[in-house]
Amino acid sequence: MKRLTLIPLLPLLAPLVPAQEQKAESPAPVQEQAASGTLDVGYRWVSDVGGNWSAYRSVVNLNDGFRVLGLDFQVRDSKKKLFDTLTLFANNWGDPYNVSRLEAERSGAYRLTFDYRNIAYYNFLPSFANPLLGQGNLISQRSFDMRRRLWNSELELRPGKRVIPYIGFSRDSGFGTGITPFVATANEYPVATDLDDQTNYYRGGVRLEFNRWHATLEQGGTTFKDDQRVFTNDRNLGNRGVPLLGQTLVLDRVNEAYGIRGRSVFSRGLLTAAPAKWVNLYGQFRFSQPRTDVRHSADAQGLFVLGATRFFNGQQILNSGGAKQPHTSGNFSVELRPHARVRVVESIMTDRLHNGSSLLLTEQFLFAAAPNETRTLFSADRLALNYNRQQADLFVDVTSRLTLRGGHRYEWGDSTFRPATLNPSGLPENGELKRNVGMFGFNYRATQRLSVNTDYEGASAGSTYFRTSLHNYHRFRARVRFQARTSLQVAANLHLLDNENPATGIEYDARNLAGTLSFQWNPANNKRVSLLGDYTYSSYRSDIMFLLPPFYTPAESRYRDNGHSITGLMEVNLPAAGAAVTPKISVGGSMFTSSGSRPTDYYQPFGRFLLPLHRNVACYAEWRWFGLSQAAYVFEGFRTHHTIVGLRLSL
Amino acid sequence: MAGIASFRRLERRSNAPPLFAFATVLAAVVLFSHTIVAQQAEQPEGGAASPEEQTQYAGSEMCQACHEDIFSTFQKKNPHAVVETQPKHGWEGRACESCHGPGAKHSESADAGEILNPAKLSPARTDAICLNCHLNTPTHVGRVQGGHAKGQVSCVGCHPVHHAVDGEMAQRRHSRINAQCAACHTDVWASFQRPHAHRLEQRAMSCVDCHNPHGSFLPRNLQTALANEPGCFKCHGDKRGPFVFEHAPVRLDGCGSCHEPHGSANPRMLIRHEVSNLCLECHSNIFSPTGATASGVPGGIPTGFHDLRSARFRNCTICHVKVHGSHVNRDFLR
Repeated sequence: MKRLTLIPLLPLLAPLVPAQEQKAESPAPVQEQAASGTLDVGYRWVSDVGGNWSAYRSVVNLNDGFRVLGLDFQVRDSKKKLFDTLTLFANNWGDPYNVSRLEAERSGAYRLTFDYRNIAYYNFLPSFANPLLGQGNLISQRSFDMRRRLWNSELELRPGKRVIPYIGFSRDSGFGTGITPFVATANEYPVATDLDDQTNYYRGGVRLEFNRWHATLEQGGTTFKDDQRVFTNDRNLGNRGVPLLGQTLVLDRVNEAYGIRGRSVFSRGLLTAAPAKWVNLYGQFRFSQPRTDVRHSADAQGLFVLGATRFFNGQQILNSGGAKQPHTSGNFSVELRPHARVRVVESIMTDRLHNGSSLLLTEQFLFAAAPNETRTLFSADRLALNYNRQQADLFVDVTSRLTLRGGHRYEWGDSTFRPATLNPSGLPENGELKRNVGMFGFNYRATQRLSVNTDYEGASAGSTYFRTSLHNYHRFRARVRFQARTSLQVAANLHLLDNENPATGIEYDARNLAGTLSFQWNPANNKRVSLLGDYTYSSYRSDIMFLLPPFYTPAESRYRDNGHSITGLMEVNLPAAGAAVTPKISVGGSMFTSSGSRPTDYYQPFGRFLLPLHRNVACYAEWRWFGLSQAAYVFEGFRTHHTIVGLRLSL
Repeated sequence: MAGIASFRRLERRSNAPPLFAFATVLAAVVLFSHTIVAQQAEQPEGGAASPEEQTQYAGSEMCQACHEDIFSTFQKKNPHAVVETQPKHGWEGRACESCHGPGAKHSESADAGEILNPAKLSPARTDAICLNCHLNTPTHVGRVQGGHAKGQVSCVGCHPVHHAVDGEMAQRRHSRINAQCAACHTDVWASFQRPHAHRLEQRAMSCVDCHNPHGSFLPRNLQTALANEPGCFKCHGDKRGPFVFEHAPVRLDGCGSCHEPHGSANPRMLIRHEVSNLCLECHSNIFSPTGATASGVPGGIPTGFHDLRSARFRNCTICHVKVHGSHVNRDFLR
């Protein structure tokens, strides 16, 4: 193990040792390398961002500084004392999206994985939900500057054996600041907010893996908290630009706090079995029962309105409640092979989710010239969803090159949820789902160089839950791959989804089309040049009738998006006599341009030059350009250059 | 449209209990398969060999004699090397033949036609070889619902047995996973080139964070979180609830009813360029006094004072801030 302790230092020491000496020190026959890996470090310069800095941060969010851009390290211990293999990789340390993963395994003893991610979520786009945009105010009222941190760990004991116990722990947390409106009657006030949520997942189980069957039994639980605070101490006039009955509504101070706590238990049971050579069975049962407890309070001072005419100066709110949501899912499938060329798959699934909740609201209104008023309101709510699916598929290998498949799926279910605010009956609303789907496809492998795969689904729905749900639809997919030569491969994809709901007052008609043509050319086995690229055309068209408030005038909502995407990469290996690693130039990037409801151009070209300095060391320089422009939102465009200079150390 | 019409007829006839239909189909297929299978010869890839078949096997040492390079690479870097020594599946000393079938004849004649080459079989037969050992693992419990199994994408399409990069049969680095998926799903990868997308380009995520390529009981091979929740909640735990006041489409139609998770030109990956259009396309029903809507679908209408001629009311989420579900307000105002 002494040799292993030095391994992390080897990339740094290697450049100091001449290659000749290294060879002299190891006259023994070449053995498998115990450690291997690469480390990419560099410094990024971001030129002055032209255009909107907030939009740049919302979309790209990379800045200057020293970065560990990539670490990929693997150790194999031939003595297999602590582990057989230890793998560590990490990306973008120093950037807002950094990830790392550690895996260690000793055959038959344990397998450990640890995954960590730290992802920034910055969103400050002036055009999003900003009612003051027309007045030239570019401060978005729904903004976030947050981080989400996720880590996931799992320890599996006796991998590869018949009985495999395991335990796991995961955490998903988010924290940061933002802007959110505090909503009062007749006015809403953008104020600061702090956000802090965290979910912990615990799980443990055992896998029983035998030759003819397998079962996994897992039990787990979660704890959850969501502490949000909304606050201001500054006078805020809100979005209402005009007085109400001669009075100017104003917020002087607010302090609102959410204290949401949750917990849940969940169970999983999975089964696969091959009781005979002609049948496979698959089944799963899943149950979860999350619940939350709600504590919420708000204290606001200013001038507000109650009803339409009563003005008051302060409001105190206290909410206490909870929700519980048992959720059961089950699925069973059987795969039969009655003949070597025929397979039949029958599958049934059910998913049942019920949400029951209640809330006690206590509100106190502080009037300047009248006694305070207190009111208490108890409300309860319920949401129920029952979804079922039955599907039968038939696969026939007509020849060794042609496989036909067909099938039928029936989906049905019902749902109940609280009535819409203006529903005159006040009774819970009921939705129903009934959908028949027919499927057909084939897979043709003309040669090993040419394959064609197609899929078609056609559906007719008696009823669906919502106006824009999949109703009467056709979906078609085709994929062709052709290897013209050893060095040249081309592929084409087509995807079409056409969905209609002809009901009066809805008249929904949506079509989504995407087609791609791609190629990869590696002449002389990548010796000098390699080239790959693809072009994608996508279009989305949607028309639906809706009612335009305040007079419920029938109107048509139209959405169009016609996009063209091109990505490409060309790599050129430069001649370098005697060098172990050849210098390389890479150029490429992506381009997206679209027309329609939100015309957008977004370009990300790059160029990169890699120059080996030593057998284990290379330096590189990279240039990238980011440019966004949107014709309807010119103020949201940006453009910038990034330059990175760094070293790649390899072991 | 003929297909649609026939499905409508089927729809009208589909009042029979579906469980009964399922049981009938299953019973018929089982009976049929019993009859056929009784007459069928054993398949060569049908599991560990019977004693009389043992003589047809040459053993891995014999394979090594000619395929030394493959054998040595396999022993050092391929996880399948354990098959050679592990008694679990009964292929000790015959790891090569566990996939390639009996090799005694091939070792005598050196004829490529005398040995099974899984790469040249139909995807279903190739999968059958892999699933001899791998079926009985939790990975494959949703296999028959998955798009890959239906689309005849065989295991070796993603797991190259003899050409594993760095000895890994399954990619683990985000960039490599994404490259592998994008090689076929090019149109999906193109969506990530749009300005508002999940951070796959930055290598902070990979396709398998959201999709299980081996299949799932959820649509689109979606991963699950907490046993049976959509995988979105693995990272967006604050949106999971349960809420005192749920927004029904989040539970009934999922996140995709408002968001395009692969990437969009619209902020927040929304499927419409304006928030009001997105909301009003559903919230446009007129109720009868009984509570039913003329179009037969549930959902509400906006209240009368929402004057959409004002920009203030065209930005619904300015007031309805807790649109994913609220703990305290039925109209999602806080």
